[in-house]
Amino acid sequence: MLRRPALLWLVILTTVVGAVAYVKFFRTEPPPYFESAEEHFLFGSVGSEDQDGIPYWIWLVLPRVFPEYLPGPGGYAGLGMVAKDAHEMPVGVSKTTIGFPRVGINCAMCHTGSVRAAPDEPPMIIPGAPAHQLAWQQYRQFLFASASDPRFTADTLLAEISKNTRLSLLDAALYRLVIVPRTRNALLRQRDRDSWMQRNPAPGRGRIDAVNAVKFGILKQPQDVTVGAADMPALWNLKAHRRYQWDGAVTVAQDAAMSWAVNIGARTRWLDRDFEEWNDSRSREMSSLRRVLNYVSALQPPKYPFGIDDRLAATGAAVFTRSCASCHAIGGSRTGSVIPAAEIGTDTQRVDAWTSASATAYNAYGDGHAWKFSGFTKTAGYAAAPLDGIWARAPYLHNGSVPSLVDLLETADRRPARFFRGYDVYDRTKLGFVSIGPEAERRGTLYDVTQPGNSNAGHLYGTDLPADDKRALVEYLKTL
Amino acid sequence: MTIGDYQRRVIRQLTAIGVGVAVLAVVLWAVVAVRSDRPIVYGDITDHFKYGSIGSEPGGSLLAPIGGALPPYEVFKALPAICPDRLPGGYASLGLIFEPGHDLPIGVSRRRRLGIDQVGFNCALCHTGTVRDTPPAAPRIVLGMPAHQLDLETLVQFILDCSLDSRTTDESIAGRFAETGGRVSLFERILLRFGFVDRLKVTTLDLRQRIAPIFANTVPRWGRGRVDTFNPYKSVQFNWPLDKLPQSELIGATDFPSLWNQQPRDGMHLHWDGDNTSVDERNLSAALGAGVTPATVDHAAIKRVRDWIWTLPPPSYPYAIDRALAAQGAVLYQQSCLDCHADHRFRDGVKAGTRVGEIEDIALIATDRHRLDSYTAEFAANQYALYPDSEYRFKHFTKTHGYANQPLDGIWLRGPYLHNGSVPTLRDLLEPPERRPALFYRGYDVFDQANVGFVSSVATADGRAFTRFDTALPGNSNSGHLYGTTLPDADKRAIVEYLKTF
Repeated sequence: MLRRPALLWLVILTTVVGAVAYVKFFRTEPPPYFESAEEHFLFGSVGSEDQDGIPYWIWLVLPRVFPEYLPGPGGYAGLGMVAKDAHEMPVGVSKTTIGFPRVGINCAMCHTGSVRAAPDEPPMIIPGAPAHQLAWQQYRQFLFASASDPRFTADTLLAEISKNTRLSLLDAALYRLVIVPRTRNALLRQRDRDSWMQRNPAPGRGRIDAVNAVKFGILKQPQDVTVGAADMPALWNLKAHRRYQWDGAVTVAQDAAMSWAVNIGARTRWLDRDFEEWNDSRSREMSSLRRVLNYVSALQPPKYPFGIDDRLAATGAAVFTRSCASCHAIGGSRTGSVIPAAEIGTDTQRVDAWTSASATAYNAYGDGHAWKFSGFTKTAGYAAAPLDGIWARAPYLHNGSVPSLVDLLETADRRPARFFRGYDVYDRTKLGFVSIGPEAERRGTLYDVTQPGNSNAGHLYGTDLPADDKRALVEYLKTL
Repeated sequence: MTIGDYQRRVIRQLTAIGVGVAVLAVVLWAVVAVRSDRPIVYGDITDHFKYGSIGSEPGGSLLAPIGGALPPYEVFKALPAICPDRLPGGYASLGLIFEPGHDLPIGVSRRRRLGIDQVGFNCALCHTGTVRDTPPAAPRIVLGMPAHQLDLETLVQFILDCSLDSRTTDESIAGRFAETGGRVSLFERILLRFGFVDRLKVTTLDLRQRIAPIFANTVPRWGRGRVDTFNPYKSVQFNWPLDKLPQSELIGATDFPSLWNQQPRDGMHLHWDGDNTSVDERNLSAALGAGVTPATVDHAAIKRVRDWIWTLPPPSYPYAIDRALAAQGAVLYQQSCLDCHADHRFRDGVKAGTRVGEIEDIALIATDRHRLDSYTAEFAANQYALYPDSEYRFKHFTKTHGYANQPLDGIWLRGPYLHNGSVPTLRDLLEPPERRPALFYRGYDVFDQANVGFVSSVATADGRAFTRFDTALPGNSNSGHLYGTTLPDADKRAIVEYLKTF
């Protein structure tokens, strides 16, 4: 007689707890919709919040609780994350609600650049440009260092959160009992997963070792000692490209887009859902990744914002046709193909970091899914890229070892051996960003060409041109 | 079971229930006391402006209080007596204005939070000034005018230093309560028994450490009538390590602005560098400086002030005006000044001129650039996350490249002039920089009718030491804004006469 009400209560309790748990931890709200394709690229969700996402309120206050783990003052902006049009989230950071508001990243994080005409000018934010100012690995290390700090506790974080919002009693309890401890554990797991970073030289601003992050973190390949750090590339006019990644190892645009969602934390079930709408043409309904891909396929490179000497540029055009066009003009005979590393002579670490086994593993990653990859290959060189918007793509070469185009037209022994990357004031004489001086040093990270993966050797094309031809060529490059 | 056992059991149970109820009642009472949030409400809008709370008192939880720049009410009142050597003249000597019948100065509000009476700053602190016709005259209190007499930096330093002084203890505070006959609630007595002042010192120490680089010797003092709006904000709101910023970025002191006639200003570039175009957002930003947090701000109270300053008229010039001379000045003004600064009709909302409220490039205006450089794009990026997840989130801040053209309504009360207050009078402003005073004193409230501005040659008076303003110090340059400086003397006098009608 007594059992039945007890059972009833148990059922009611379980239902209530289950319902609360579902609503508070799992219920996925539709991600914020952005009318313009540009805003979708800059702030939209590509599915990274679920797995590697950080609870919004923790993410918001973390730089205020642990400023000592950031490279300098400025919060996330100090890491080179940029703001655009007064959006709350920095460019490249998405916010969606899966149970609770979570923060993820998207393509624009590494593919939106900041350019300033002078130190006291407001920055121009250029979608699709390499995020040469972004200290990506330092951001990851900031998160890891914060999670490793004994002050990463509900007490500390909730005290800071309470300055910004009034969490309900239930939400505060969930943060205290579940969300804060689980976030800490998740970040510590990521730290351990990324422990290989420690043995390599820090990539510094504008660079990322994505190859090894994928190889070890996602494809679970055996550890090796390669250094895969390379520049973040520009992401515009993609329709003019035939191969993707510096080594040209990806041959299918769709695979390039979807695999990057995987790389930054999208789960297969998110990809399944997103891919269902791949061919939908209505912007509100269509696949988020397809929308991004369409945007960057058509995105035009930014015009050079400073003066161009048209006559000199016309002279330079002839030099370009003679010396560069076969590999770098859109439609050039070798443009888009992989040039053997031995022929170019640039640093080989990046191409060696990607293995045949990794390519095979990534092609098998989506087995059984409609979006299964097939475009991953292993190459033995670097892809000859079209030079559209090249002025905004400094520093140069795949590893960003040469600060300016003028330097690139010098032989390796005359290129700078030590310089600073990440300062966003533009150098109109040399075509690149200001890479020496106190401000470049304060804002940037040191680049040392003697470190593994950092060699500035190779790509000697044009280095033997007469000085006048070099000047004309550089002027012409401004027009691309 | 005997009757005695039964009785004992009942008694035991009743006792347990009684104790339980009593404990519950005490806990409930404590919770209600701690969680109650009651401002003193003023029916009259000018009283609300002067003494009403905008939510800048410490709040949140008793264990981890948030916001606020001041210690509790009784402590605030006790500090000058506890540390007399640190502030011999009391709060009034710093330019805080006390009115009869009020134990708190204008600009300091009182509100019950965390179980006790707290105090905080409100808008009137920096936007209420005094004027005197002559030295013996009684000061006139003008609401909405720049608090040119207020030494905010010294006030904040005194509060921090005296709160951390070894003489400030639970006992000395309790002693002051007793001496002044203040009514101490049971709750306050309990708090004082349990390390109340120790906890106050912990939060004070945190605040002092955060803003210490601004108060360092390398940064010229703000002095009377000035504040560095954004550098404290960088550390208080965002906890930026200020010592890692370039030293010159920490120099950002500017004059307090006037607060009247806001309606025609909405949509103009506000703040000295024009970094925001929304009056409401500018107000909420200033409230952060007064000590609110997005979680403790009193939006309704700020809205009341906002609605009032929306149409608050600038005070008319109370002394004689030579109308004929002013009429001549109006013509000259039209040629040299109107396009950027509108004219005397701005008080009625008439926006004459094409560049009013626009930003003039720093290369053109050529005034001291420190304030401009103290506001950075990185800082703006951080501001967009203020008042998060709400309709109030900041969306109008931008990094600019110059200073904004201000309308000149009530300009006679807005001296000293230029954004950094580096020129004492309007007449001086019409001289080229090398003929403007290189050294003068700020904060004396006797009016200079001849030159329009405050008397700037007096170093001390009535027990107050005024701010010695040295234009050679970084951030204090009186260069730039050369408009009108080449006119003949008679023309300059005519323009100054016309400006009295604004």
